[in-house]
Amino acid sequence: MVDIRIRFDSVSKNYGPVRVVDNLKLDIAKGEFVSLLGPSGSGKTTLLMMLAGFEEATEGQILVDGRAVNDLPSYKRDMGVVFQNYALFPHMTVGENIAFPLQMRGIGKAEIAERVARALDMVQLGHLAGRKPSQLSGGQQQRVALARALVFEPRVVLMDEPLGALDKQLREQMQLDIRALHNRLGLTIVFVTHDQGEALTMSDRIAVFNKGKIEQIGSPRDIYDEPKTRFVAEFIGETNLLEGVVDRTSAGDALVRLTNGEAITVTDAQGLTPGQPVFISIRPERIEVQDAAIASTGANAFATRVADSVYQGDHIRLQLEDGAGTPYIARLDRKSAEWPKGTAVTAIFKPADCKVVLP
Amino acid sequence: MPVKTVQALFAALMVAFLIIPLIVILPLAFTNSALLVYPVPGWSMRWFRELVENDAWRRAIVNSLIIGGGTTVLATVLGTLASLGLRQRLPYIGAVLRTLFMLPMVVPAVVLGIGMQILLAHLGLANTYAAVIIAHTVIAVPFVIISVAGALAGIDKRVELAAASLGASPATVFRRVTLPLAMPGVLSGAVLAFATSLDEVVLTIFVAGPNQRTLARQMFSTIRENISPAIASSAFLFIVGTVVIGALVLAVRSRAPKAAA
Amino acid sequence: MKKRVLSPRMGAFLLVAPLFFFIALFFVWPLASVMKQSVSDTAVLHILPKTAEAMSDWDGESTPSPTLQQALIDDLRAATDEQATGDMVRRLNSAQSGFRTLMAKTIKAANEAREGPVDLLEIDKKWAQPQYWKAISEALSPVTDRYLLASLDLTRDASGSIVSQPPEAAINTAIFSRTLWISALVTFFCVVLGYPYALLIVASTGWKRQLLLAAVLLPLWTSLLVRTAAWFMLLQEKGLINELLQTLAFINEPLALIFNRTGVVIAMTHVQLPLMVLPIYSVLLTIPKNLMPAAASLGAHPIRAFWRVMLPLSFRGILSGSLLVFMSALGYYITPALIGGAGDQMISYFIAFYATETANWGMASALGLVLLIITILLYAVYERLSATRERSA
Repeated sequence: MVDIRIRFDSVSKNYGPVRVVDNLKLDIAKGEFVSLLGPSGSGKTTLLMMLAGFEEATEGQILVDGRAVNDLPSYKRDMGVVFQNYALFPHMTVGENIAFPLQMRGIGKAEIAERVARALDMVQLGHLAGRKPSQLSGGQQQRVALARALVFEPRVVLMDEPLGALDKQLREQMQLDIRALHNRLGLTIVFVTHDQGEALTMSDRIAVFNKGKIEQIGSPRDIYDEPKTRFVAEFIGETNLLEGVVDRTSAGDALVRLTNGEAITVTDAQGLTPGQPVFISIRPERIEVQDAAIASTGANAFATRVADSVYQGDHIRLQLEDGAGTPYIARLDRKSAEWPKGTAVTAIFKPADCKVVLP
Repeated sequence: MPVKTVQALFAALMVAFLIIPLIVILPLAFTNSALLVYPVPGWSMRWFRELVENDAWRRAIVNSLIIGGGTTVLATVLGTLASLGLRQRLPYIGAVLRTLFMLPMVVPAVVLGIGMQILLAHLGLANTYAAVIIAHTVIAVPFVIISVAGALAGIDKRVELAAASLGASPATVFRRVTLPLAMPGVLSGAVLAFATSLDEVVLTIFVAGPNQRTLARQMFSTIRENISPAIASSAFLFIVGTVVIGALVLAVRSRAPKAAA
Repeated sequence: MKKRVLSPRMGAFLLVAPLFFFIALFFVWPLASVMKQSVSDTAVLHILPKTAEAMSDWDGESTPSPTLQQALIDDLRAATDEQATGDMVRRLNSAQSGFRTLMAKTIKAANEAREGPVDLLEIDKKWAQPQYWKAISEALSPVTDRYLLASLDLTRDASGSIVSQPPEAAINTAIFSRTLWISALVTFFCVVLGYPYALLIVASTGWKRQLLLAAVLLPLWTSLLVRTAAWFMLLQEKGLINELLQTLAFINEPLALIFNRTGVVIAMTHVQLPLMVLPIYSVLLTIPKNLMPAAASLGAHPIRAFWRVMLPLSFRGILSGSLLVFMSALGYYITPALIGGAGDQMISYFIAFYATETANWGMASALGLVLLIITILLYAVYERLSATRERSA
C-alpha cells in the first residue's frame, strides 16, 4: 500500500469558455518524483498553480495527505515552489531570501541562522549568503531558489520549468543535482517541464499532458518504449510513424496494411480488430538496415534507398525513402557500415519493435 | 564641410542652445548691481539677503515649502493607493480611471484654474492654503501615478506568489515584498510632486490669495512688474534644488534592486 | 469555509476610491463648472425671480399686466447686492440699449416709494414698449449660447439667427488663429531641431551620448519659470545676446528680441524641445542599428536609405512628439505673458484676462471650453497613437 501524498480528484479549470484542465485524476505517492510533461498550453502549469494555491480549481478536489486544500490559501499550504525565473526577492540578500520562509513560521533567530547555513551548504553557495540575487549567475540564482524552497522542509516541492533559463550544460548538471537531492532527502516533487529529455532523466513517473488531459502516465521506460497514443509517440523522442489499417489478427499478432502499400506484422496486438485505422511507431534506432543484395524483402522488410546519410558523432543518421516516396529515419551505431547516398538498402522492422498507437 | 564636422557643429550648437540659458542666469544671482544685466559689475550676496530679509520673498519661500510639502504628502498618498488599486485587472474601468487620472497633465492650466476658482470659492476655501494644496495635488498626482505604477509594473508577480508559497500572508507579502520594491517609485513620485508644486504658477494665480503667494508666483510678478536680480537668486535656488533633487532621484534609482534574472 | 473578507476587485476599488473622489471633486467638477458657466446666464434671473414667474403669463406684445409690473418693482426693491444688480443692468443693456438709464430711473423710483404699487409707465414711457419686456423675458432664460457664439466671433441678430460679429468686436478668431500659429511655429522648429538631434543621440556612444541626453533632460527638470526668466535676461535689450553681438560689432543697434513674436517662439522652442526629442529618441532606439547598412548593401544611397528606411520607421515618434509639443503649446500662458508683447498673447492670456480682470466668467469659460475641446481631441489622437505602438511592440 503506497502512501498517497497528493490526489487530484476529477479536477477541472476553466478560463472563461476555455477548459484548460479537464476532469483530471492523478495520485502522487509520498517521496515520488513526478514530471508533468507536455507542450505549452496543455494544462500542466495550471495544474501546478492550482496545487500551489495560486489558482482556484473550477471543479473537483485537490487533496494533500487526505485533506482537501481547495480553500486553503497558498501561504498555509506548506509547499515549496521553485519558479521558472526563480522569483527571488531582489531587495533581499541570498541569506535573507532563504531565511524568509523560516521567519514566516516564527522560528527563532539562532535556528534560522543554522538552517540557512545548512541549506546554503546543500546547494554549495555558503560563501554567497551576503550577495543580492542580481549579483549571481543564473545557475547560482537557481540554487538559491531551490534552497529557499527546501529549507522549511515542505510536504511537497513544486517546480515550474525551473531549468528552462539555463544553458544546456548547466541544465544537465542541475538535473542530476536535483535528482540526487530527491533521493537523499526523500522529497515528494512535482516537476513541470516541456523538455522530454529532462523528464526522462529525472522522474520516477511521467504524466504526458495534452489538451488538459493526461494522455499517458508511467515510468520513463514505459513512456518511451510503449507509447499508447500517436501524441505520446511523437512528443517523446523521435519516431517513424506509419499510417495503416489492421488487415487481420491471429493469436496476438496482427498484420497492418500501410497506406503506402507495404505490410507490417506486429506482436502484442490485443484488442485490435480488422479494418481498424492505426499508426505504427518505430524508433529510429530500432530499424535495422541491410544491403539490398543480401536481404530479401516482404512483410517488415522494405526495399528503400538512402536519401541522405549524416554522421553525428555518436551515431549515424540515415534518411531512407521507399518506392512510394515514404521517408524513414534510421539511427545506426557509429561503427556500422557507411551507406553512401543512393545505395539500395533493405529496412527491417522487427515485429516486437513496432508499436501500435492509436490516432 | 565633411559630414562629421557638420554633425559635431550642430550638436555643439544644440547643447549650447539647451544649456546656456540655464547657466547664464547663475552668475547674475551674485551681482551687486540693482540691474539684471551683464557684465556683472561686482559680486555680492545682497540678493540672497534680499530673499531672506524682504518680507514678500521670505514669505513666498515659506509658502512654497508649506504648499509643496502638503502637496507632496497628499499627492503621494492618493497616487500610491490608486496605483496599487489599478494593479488589479479591472476590465474597461481600469483603463478609464487611468486616463482620467492622467488628464490633469493635459488640460490647459488656465481652464482648470477658472473652474477651480469657481468651485473653491463655492466651498468657502478661496484664498486658503488648503485651496492651493488641493489645486497643486490635482496636477501632481499624474506624476506620482506614472512613477509608482512604473515601479509596480516592474515587480514580477511571481515574486509575490513565491512569498505566499513560502508562508507569507497577503499583508506580509505587501509589507515585506511589494512595498519595499515599489519604494523607489514612491520616492521619485514624491519628488516629482514637490517639484510640480514648486513650479506651479497659473493655478496659484487663480486660487491663492495674497497670503499664499508662492516663490514661483512671486518670481512671475517680479519679472512682470519690477525686474530685480532677486529673480536670478531665486532661480539659482531653483536650479541648485533641481540638481540636488535630481541627484537624490538618481541615487534612489540606482539603489533600487534590479529584478533578478 | 472561505474566510476571505474582501475580493481582490473590491480591494482595488477601495484603494482607487480616495483619488477617484478627489479627482471627481477637484478636477471633473471644476471643468464641469467651466462648461456650465460657458452657457449659463443667470445675471438677470438672479435679481428678478418674481418677474420670471409673472412673465410666463405675458403674451409678448401687449402692455404688461399690473401683476407683472408689480413683480418687477418687488424684485428691484429686494435687490440689495449692488454688484449683482449692476451685472443685471449690464446684461440687459447689452441686449437692448437704453436699459441703463431706464433701470437707474426705475430703481430710484421703486426705492423712493418704499412700498405699494408704482406705475412703471409714469416713471418712463419706455415701459410701454414691448421690446424692453421682451429683452427681459429673453434674458431671464438661464441658458445662453451667446458666450460660445462670441468665442467664435458669432452672435445672434434681432431675428435670432446666427451671424458674424461686427468686425470691431470680432477678435477671438484672430486670437485662436494666433495661438494655433505660434504653436505650429514652435512645433515646426522643435521638429527641425529635435529630429536631427535625436538621430545624433542615437548615433553617438559613451560620454557623448550621456552629454547629449543630459542637455535635453536638464532643461526638462528645470522649472519652467526659471527657463522663462533666463530667456528674459538673455533676450532683453541689454541682455547677453545683444551685448555680445554689439561687442563683436555684428550689430550697432540692439536687436528687438523681447516683447515680440521672435522672443516668444525662441523661448517656447527651448522649453518644448525636450518633449520633441524624447519621444523620437525612444522610437529611434527600437530601430535596429543594422537597417541602414542593410539598405546600403542593397544599393541604396545614404539619402535614399534615410528617406525610405529611417524616416518611415521614426515617423511615429515625430508624430507623437509633434502632438505633444503642439498640444501643450496651445495652453501656454507664462512664457508669452513674460516674453511676448501685446500682440503675442495666446488664448490662455485672454481667458485669464476675462476671468481675473473683468470677472466675465461666461466669456472666460466659453473660450476655455473651446481650448479644452481642442486639447482633449489632440490628446485622444496622441493616446491612440501610443496605444497602437504598445500593441505593435
